Amino acid sequence: MSGIDIETIKNSLDAQLGEISSFQGLEECRVKYLGRKGLLAQLTSSIPTLPAEQRPVFGQQVNALKNKIESALATIEASLVGKAGTASAGPTAVIRSGVDIGLPAVAQGVGHLHPITQVMDEICCLFGRMGFRIVEGPEVETEYNNFTGLNIPLEHPSRDAFDTFYIKNAPKLLLRSHTSPVQVRAMKQAKPPLAVVVPGRVYRPDAVDASHSFMFHQVEGFMVDRGIRLSDLKGVLEFFAKGIFGQEINMRFRPHFFPFTEPSAEVDISCKICKGKGCSVCGRKGWLEILGSGMIHPNVLRNVGYDPDIYTGFAFGMGVERIAMLKYGIDDIRLFYENDMRFLAQF
Amino acid sequence: MTMAGLEVGSITPVGNDFVFEVEITSNRPDWLSVVGIAREVAALTDKKIKVPVTARAAYRIAPGASAKQFRIRIESKKDCPVYTARIIRDVHVGPSPAWLKERLEAIGCRSINNIVDATNYIMFAWGQPLHAFDLDKLNSDTIVVRRARPGEKLVLIDGQQKSLTGEVLVIADTSAPVAVAGIMGGKGTEVDERTQHVLLEAAVFNPVVVRLGKRVLGLQSDSAYRFERGVDIAGTEYASFLAVELIREVAGGKNTVSVRSPLLEAKAKRIRVSLAAVHALTGAKDISAGHVKRILSSLGFGVKAHTKGSFLVEVPSFRPDVNLEADLIEEVARIFGYENIPTTLPPIIPQPDVIGPHELVVQLKNTLLSLGLDEVITHSLIPRDILEGFDPGSAQAPEIMNPLSKEQEVLRPTLLPSLIRCVGRNLNQKQEYVAVFEIANIFCNAGPSLKEELFLGVALCGRRSLWLGEGAVQDTPGFLHVKGILQIVCERLGIKLQECAFVCTAAPDIIEAHIGRLRVGVMTRIRREILERFDIKNKDVFALEIDLAKLFSLARLGKKFVPWPVYPEILRDISLVLKEEIPVAQVKETIRKLAGNFLEATEITDYYKGKQIETGFKGLTVSCRYRSSERTLTDAEINALHAEVLRGLTDALGARIR
Repeated sequence: MSGIDIETIKNSLDAQLGEISSFQGLEECRVKYLGRKGLLAQLTSSIPTLPAEQRPVFGQQVNALKNKIESALATIEASLVGKAGTASAGPTAVIRSGVDIGLPAVAQGVGHLHPITQVMDEICCLFGRMGFRIVEGPEVETEYNNFTGLNIPLEHPSRDAFDTFYIKNAPKLLLRSHTSPVQVRAMKQAKPPLAVVVPGRVYRPDAVDASHSFMFHQVEGFMVDRGIRLSDLKGVLEFFAKGIFGQEINMRFRPHFFPFTEPSAEVDISCKICKGKGCSVCGRKGWLEILGSGMIHPNVLRNVGYDPDIYTGFAFGMGVERIAMLKYGIDDIRLFYENDMRFLAQF
Repeated sequence: MTMAGLEVGSITPVGNDFVFEVEITSNRPDWLSVVGIAREVAALTDKKIKVPVTARAAYRIAPGASAKQFRIRIESKKDCPVYTARIIRDVHVGPSPAWLKERLEAIGCRSINNIVDATNYIMFAWGQPLHAFDLDKLNSDTIVVRRARPGEKLVLIDGQQKSLTGEVLVIADTSAPVAVAGIMGGKGTEVDERTQHVLLEAAVFNPVVVRLGKRVLGLQSDSAYRFERGVDIAGTEYASFLAVELIREVAGGKNTVSVRSPLLEAKAKRIRVSLAAVHALTGAKDISAGHVKRILSSLGFGVKAHTKGSFLVEVPSFRPDVNLEADLIEEVARIFGYENIPTTLPPIIPQPDVIGPHELVVQLKNTLLSLGLDEVITHSLIPRDILEGFDPGSAQAPEIMNPLSKEQEVLRPTLLPSLIRCVGRNLNQKQEYVAVFEIANIFCNAGPSLKEELFLGVALCGRRSLWLGEGAVQDTPGFLHVKGILQIVCERLGIKLQECAFVCTAAPDIIEAHIGRLRVGVMTRIRREILERFDIKNKDVFALEIDLAKLFSLARLGKKFVPWPVYPEILRDISLVLKEEIPVAQVKETIRKLAGNFLEATEITDYYKGKQIETGFKGLTVSCRYRSSERTLTDAEINALHAEVLRGLTDALGARIR
């Protein structure tokens, strides 16, 4: 029986191979002969039914047939590929299996996350790796949380830097001018150790131009525990700055002043555009200021009920728009709020 | 200087000299003078500053001296802790010598005359603002420092006339105010070419009063800037004396009379600082005690050894910003150099994962992105008139007391107008299809206070071409698209759409979405009149607004595996024609009631009006899925049941089965 099968297969093989004119046909043929349930597999599985002395010879015949079919199919495939190649008019019009792959893809459009959201997420993620968890707070705040609790007395000129929007008919309520009030809230609600980042919208009555907007976003963060040092602040901010702008940037940690931190510092990164020589982007300084920071002022700790002789902490804050503009090379802050689809689609 | 906290913005060569532009932080009023900067540079370069050596007796004014020739009356010591006046007779007022003019003009100060220039020079050099009055134009031998009385007016040196109030501190003679204290002098007593005798004022005024007066009168000046931040009372007489010397040099004249208000007891500030605290706060363990002492001494602090490992530091009067140990540690750290402080990482305290509103919002945004919507961020402050026609509207919008422009009049109680404005702008840029969302807080008046709540807003507009491989179909958004977004959003939060009830309101363009007993959201077709105001013509905008606090409260996030049914289903399709006004929901409900427990689900698989259907009617195809959880159903029993359903549909709804 098997002998007849193998002969039948051999005889009809050439005719079958000759009929192949497409890749589809080639594949069908391959499966028919060489597939798991194909003819040759059936022949092989029939070997045990043969008398023992016939088996080796039969096995060799099956193997020889398999090799012959494989090489024949390979030759046919090569010729099909060759034909497809010469039939094409260039790399864009390859036609296989009846499809012109140059046609538009059937793809459902996916939306874009706003670049500010993307940058805020990236910032929070970097700090998340260092154990900071995300806490959010209200945009309408009390005067106490926005100023007094943060050691910013209402009469002091440092308050000028934080001029704010006040709510009519609701004295003592304002639109927060920074996300630092959430420091006050979070520390009052929990006990140290704490490591928190606060992303969110903030408001300042600044005249609107290419680098100022009356509404923008900040990420503020702080860490409080026993034994937190200025050196820890340096380390955390270095990890962040390199994470968001690249390992090759240079960072400068420079003394400054904020009413709610002491000592205070600002962090600059080397200007990527002029590589530190000075240009219009960095105001000829060669350095770009990216955030403010410092050790939390003892008065602030006392205001939330922490003993500054036991606990210390650091805090930092940054403008998200500024970071995004530096990172993506955006030159006008107003683009973020116009939400032109040609802008959003780039991120 | 920059690396020690005194940031240099620019250095410009001017002649043989250089002009530094420096950013002075508001805590360092002592840097608002050349001597202050010089002191800083000396500390940084380990050198000492050179000041004119003058015996104290020469510049000190004995209290009560010359009280007969000239008197000073101060209404409130709180407003004016110290006031000194020196009379200089027989001056020759004229242009300043070249060196004085050049020095002032290099820093952007206009040269007026030799007397005024001298007072400005001393102010910039020593940080003590001075004012020169024409002595003969004063109406009395008494200077009064008091609050203005309502109704009083004053013409200032710049020509403006100001009406004064009780908040303004003035310098007056016995008849009327002659200057706004610490801010600007009056025209009536100004020094000009005919002046022969000068009254030189050197005083310190309360920062809060000066700031208030500035704001009330809308004025600015270099003097006010310094008084606001704090002028050192220990330096007043010295500066005034140097001014007299300078005036003598450039304008002649002789200081005949000097008077001052009574001495104020200045308490010395002493702060303890320990080496251990320096190391603990900075993390720089290699700062030695000697180094700490050197740094603080070079900055003008008096350092004495206290107990072992700590110092008692006396703070000079020109450092009102230093009050705590932390302030001294900052001085040490910045002169030591922040770049010399090591970089370490604090111990990381891993936080357990929390799924709060923030995490749900992240997930929600990803869901909306996958539905093809773009995220936008629009302003929370809007003009009031943009809210017309919306509910909540301008009555609910909290007002801003001090907007800079119309754009900042109120806080928005709904996201929709902002989203529509965004749609309009994009259509203007020739976009054919706009699909956007925003997740942000809205604000509503609530009695004496206001509510702040997180909302999702979606707006769809235009027409898009959906390419399907062999041609495209046109898709224009409508209510069912909005329903689709709501459905997917709910599904991802574990809320089944079946739990959502759609309630049509009296307004034809508004459909509410209720889940359980909560009104969670509203779907709207924005009225054309409203769209016209946003310059959107001949297009529809469909919107969705969802209260996220409510939605999140209904979320079921835990996942649990449910095995699928064991027994096979039987499918039966029903094609029927029925009156247009019969809602699909009623058809499904009718089928459900008739079919009973074996009906697992019904699905609308086709819906058509037009050619083959008579007007007033519509065609529907409903696919019914029958299954039992206990056994395999037979065709026979389902056929019978299904026939009942068909009969019931005809009877109850007047439907015609095709």
